[in-house]
Amino acid sequence: MIAEAGHYALVLALALALIQSTVPVIGARLRDPALMNVARSTALAQLLFVGLSFLALVTLHVTSDFSVANVYENSHSLKPLIYKITGVWGNHEGSMLLWVSILALFGGMVAAFGNNLPLSLRSLALAVQAWVSTAFYLFILITSNPFLRLANAPIEGRDLNPVLQDPGLAIHPPMLYLGYVGFSISFSFAVAALIEGRIDAAWARWVRPWTLMAWIFLTLGIAMGSYWAYYELGWGGWWFWDPVENASLMPWLAGTALLHSAVVMEKRNALKVWTILLAILTFSLSLLGTFLVRSGVLTSVHAFATDPTRGVFILLILCLFIGGSLSLYAWRASALKQGGLFAPISREGSLVLNNLLLTTACATVFIGTLYPLGLEVLTGERISVGAPFFNLTFAPLFVPLLLAVPFGPLLAWKRGDLLGAGQRLFAAGGVALVTIAVLWAWTRGGSAFAPLAIGLAVFVIAGALTDLAERCMLFRVPLSIAFRRARGLPRASWGTVFAHAGVGVALIGIVCESTWNTELITTLKPNDVAKVAGYELKLDNLAQRQGPNFAELLAHFTVSEGGKTIGVMTPSKRNFTTRAASTTEAALMSRGVSQLYISLGDASANGGIAVRIYHKPMVLLIWFGPVLMAFGGLLSLSDRRLRVGAPKPAKASRSLQPAE
Amino acid sequence: MIGGALLVLGIAVGLVLNALRDSIVFFSTPVMVTEKHIPAGKRFRLGGLVEPGSVVRGDHLEVTFKVSDGSASLPVTYQGILPDLFREGQGVVAEGSLNQAGVFKADTVLAKHDETYMPKDVADALKKQGHWKDDYGEGAKKASQAEQAQQSRGVMQ
Amino acid sequence: MSLWFLLALMTAVAIFAVLWPLGRATPSQGGRESAVYKDQLTEVDRDVAAGLIPQSEGEAARVEIGRRLLAAADAETDPQTTPRLGLRRTVAIIALVGMPLMAGGLYLHLGSPALPDMPLASRATAPVATASLDQLVGRVQTHLEKNPTDGRGWSVLAPVLERLGRFDDAAQAYRNAIKYDGDTAARRAGLGESLVSVANGVVTADAKAEFDRAVALDAKEAKARYFLGLAAEQDGNRTQAASIWQPLLADAPPDAPWRPVVAAALARVGAAKVPALSDDTIASAQNMSEADRTTMIRGMVDRLATRLKQNGDDVEGWLRLVRAYKVLNDPEKSRTARDDARRALGQNEAGLRQLNEGLKAMGIDG
Repeated sequence: MIAEAGHYALVLALALALIQSTVPVIGARLRDPALMNVARSTALAQLLFVGLSFLALVTLHVTSDFSVANVYENSHSLKPLIYKITGVWGNHEGSMLLWVSILALFGGMVAAFGNNLPLSLRSLALAVQAWVSTAFYLFILITSNPFLRLANAPIEGRDLNPVLQDPGLAIHPPMLYLGYVGFSISFSFAVAALIEGRIDAAWARWVRPWTLMAWIFLTLGIAMGSYWAYYELGWGGWWFWDPVENASLMPWLAGTALLHSAVVMEKRNALKVWTILLAILTFSLSLLGTFLVRSGVLTSVHAFATDPTRGVFILLILCLFIGGSLSLYAWRASALKQGGLFAPISREGSLVLNNLLLTTACATVFIGTLYPLGLEVLTGERISVGAPFFNLTFAPLFVPLLLAVPFGPLLAWKRGDLLGAGQRLFAAGGVALVTIAVLWAWTRGGSAFAPLAIGLAVFVIAGALTDLAERCMLFRVPLSIAFRRARGLPRASWGTVFAHAGVGVALIGIVCESTWNTELITTLKPNDVAKVAGYELKLDNLAQRQGPNFAELLAHFTVSEGGKTIGVMTPSKRNFTTRAASTTEAALMSRGVSQLYISLGDASANGGIAVRIYHKPMVLLIWFGPVLMAFGGLLSLSDRRLRVGAPKPAKASRSLQPAE
Repeated sequence: MIGGALLVLGIAVGLVLNALRDSIVFFSTPVMVTEKHIPAGKRFRLGGLVEPGSVVRGDHLEVTFKVSDGSASLPVTYQGILPDLFREGQGVVAEGSLNQAGVFKADTVLAKHDETYMPKDVADALKKQGHWKDDYGEGAKKASQAEQAQQSRGVMQ
Repeated sequence: MSLWFLLALMTAVAIFAVLWPLGRATPSQGGRESAVYKDQLTEVDRDVAAGLIPQSEGEAARVEIGRRLLAAADAETDPQTTPRLGLRRTVAIIALVGMPLMAGGLYLHLGSPALPDMPLASRATAPVATASLDQLVGRVQTHLEKNPTDGRGWSVLAPVLERLGRFDDAAQAYRNAIKYDGDTAARRAGLGESLVSVANGVVTADAKAEFDRAVALDAKEAKARYFLGLAAEQDGNRTQAASIWQPLLADAPPDAPWRPVVAAALARVGAAKVPALSDDTIASAQNMSEADRTTMIRGMVDRLATRLKQNGDDVEGWLRLVRAYKVLNDPEKSRTARDDARRALGQNEAGLRQLNEGLKAMGIDG
């Protein structure tokens, strides 16, 4: 009954989405408030039914109901409970159900908390949201239905792949989806604005919190995915520029640009046409990512060709929404009134530069990701575009971007004073130069690149702090007053400081890790000592151990520095008893923000074992940076000015209101 | 401002073209290697199945094995730790170049991560050779984002 | 019936969601744009008061926002709502009739309302007598997932899996049995047999190693000896095959079920006339029809081809394959085999030379 009720709930959600995608549009055209309000209640009902459907699938997985084909294929009665639950979105059908659930969640949130939105804009945006939902409900029900049943339930499920049972793998896909799908809101608002033919500064303010929320989730999702790859894959890499990663990076870059251009639009009523385009592009890139990952075109052209239904269906959705929204844009954008003017050197100007560089960087990733696919389709020639391509294109674009980051917040709106901003950044620049000089002297003979890049990162961080100091007039007023001013600063300003500093922090981690990473690959026998980056690692012994469903070769290392023991590390290699599968469990030891990393290779015939030992200086900063960025985003989101609900007037102004 | 935008775009296009020329790696199977006469020293990716019985481990983590696509096979040497899922008879992709003796010197070895996932290049090549086993196709379809990200890699240098 | 009740209830909720806003007397009007600008004005005031932006800049911003506020307020004074009662009624009817029809129809097309839930907990208790072999195997496997070190369980399971045709699983089960319940000749032989089955009848190097180990543990292990002979035969060494099989047949108890198999194998390698062979076996081998014999030979040739595809370095093997096809009057396959051989030996110059000489000797042009 659970399975069938879940199935029916999904069908009902489709029916509701069909009503939600038509009735409010008619209502908005004919200005009938009751018809427009249908959008709201149907969006909430849709959320209810998709939620029920998703819960039903989770329940089926938990109770191991193998009469459901999806559960039979992707679960096993002996999986630990947590992996039974996470296994729901570990497979294609379940992950698509999660995708639409999150889509409905965002729709429901707009319906529930969008009281401050004008009725017609809200209704149209929800209708557009329902177009997307309808397409994906149809996709799920027709090509990827998770509720299909087997008349004779098999006794046991098929999937107990131990390699996939990992907490990192369990959490980061939903995070990424919250980000991906969250951008559907800005897309819906953009299309709604185009249909209405009217867009103003207020629009940007309504859309910004939603964009910000999606961006925070995407930032965290990407960072978590990267950390998972780092500790799980066993060779210490944290970013591979593979198409799946690029699929999440592209919407992030476009979304970051969107966040910044929406500020210009909100404050100055400028860049309206561009912001709308960015909103459309960001979600289009999310859809593209879904297509790349879900159609199987990346895994194997063969899989795509033998079962083209899914791929072709998603490709159709992709063309329909991207093509449709861009045509609408081409048709209606010229009708939008242009807004405020500004000089090239101004806050607006700096944000335009930011947008330009971010979208260009996004375009290079796009080319690097799709060029091999396109070439194969056209000529049949197979190539791979790897890290060198992205390092050569992405990095040069980010250097001017990072150089400009500290200047932006210090420039005034409309017409800024570059010289003045430069003077105020004098201290930050000085700190950066000193850093470069010190690093240069310290790493004599090393590459010039690393000190310069770290100097740039320090400049970004110091620039963010300068912005903060300027705002609270540090050193110009007594400390206590500066402190009070700092507390009185809008949270959005704090958010900017944290997010920008986060970029610098991440850059330091990336540069240090890739430049001064020490790697040792060797064969060790018990009592051998390996020396890496000033640490001595002694292999005490190798032991076989029996785990719950695996046999484990455990290596016991004692780590010492300057003759003093500082800890033990126990990397292992697991062989699973019932499957022909083995995994490498790397051992990590954090020293400050640096890490020692050991992973095991194969045992050799003479009693030794192959080991891979890394010392990764400052590596944790790579993920600490994005966390700072997300924290900045969260601060900004909590700013009462951007509150998701109605912008509640401050207490003081409320008492003034009757007098107005 | 438009001039600035064009400048950035121009630089970006230049960067992309330059990078595309320098950093693209082609994919080959052993039979393509013999037919195309790839010169020694040119980097490419070699894909196929690890030939059963061909893996020989030497001193200092040296490994030699043969990669075959059913009609031809090519000897490969590699120094380093092989990925967990490197196994005889399974799909593999190695990146490196041929030396003067016609042996493929790999500096990167990628293996598939679960029993049913196969690197895309290998799957396509085997399909062409008529060596496709249907259960691989099934698995490839199933391979989700996570599984792809899991391609474990062994890397040296 | 409770399923239908539940579905009806859900449908009612969905219909209600559509009807509710249509029936409300004073529909929600939503927010106003002017509210945002008013809010922005207070912000500017606060920022100026806090000294975050200079007076002049604040003044300019106030003027700009004021202009937007006026424009927005103008647009809002005229709400222009036109209730369309007819249309509302149509939507209500669609929701009441169309939605249940559409949802119900689609669901009946896709769903299986007659199937009850079958969570594992309710199925695991089915009595053993009625359980199918698959289910029994499933239960043993479940037990072993929980107790992977139960070697006896593995040794019971392995031959069953082999018989069910799940050769990969069988091989893994044999390995576990050896690991947790001791190394015996029978288990090694079983493992080897599974490996042979996995390789479609070809005795691979791995499999041969297992048979060698089995014979080392117990020189009388019949299955291992049979397969070792088969390995020799597949390598083209008929004399060696016969020299393994002949003593095997001599040792065999008269009622051993595998006697005819070995006898037939011996007949195949042309060493059938041995004293140990019982009369009826000879009869059966001799009575083999011409068609059967051809089939048998074809099978052997195919196995050789498979093996060469795995390991193409065997020049002798290639020559034998080419000759075999020639003998079987299959010139096309013979040519294909020749081309395959050249490709496989591409890197091996000495081998190529040997191959070409051999081909010439056979009367096939180079």
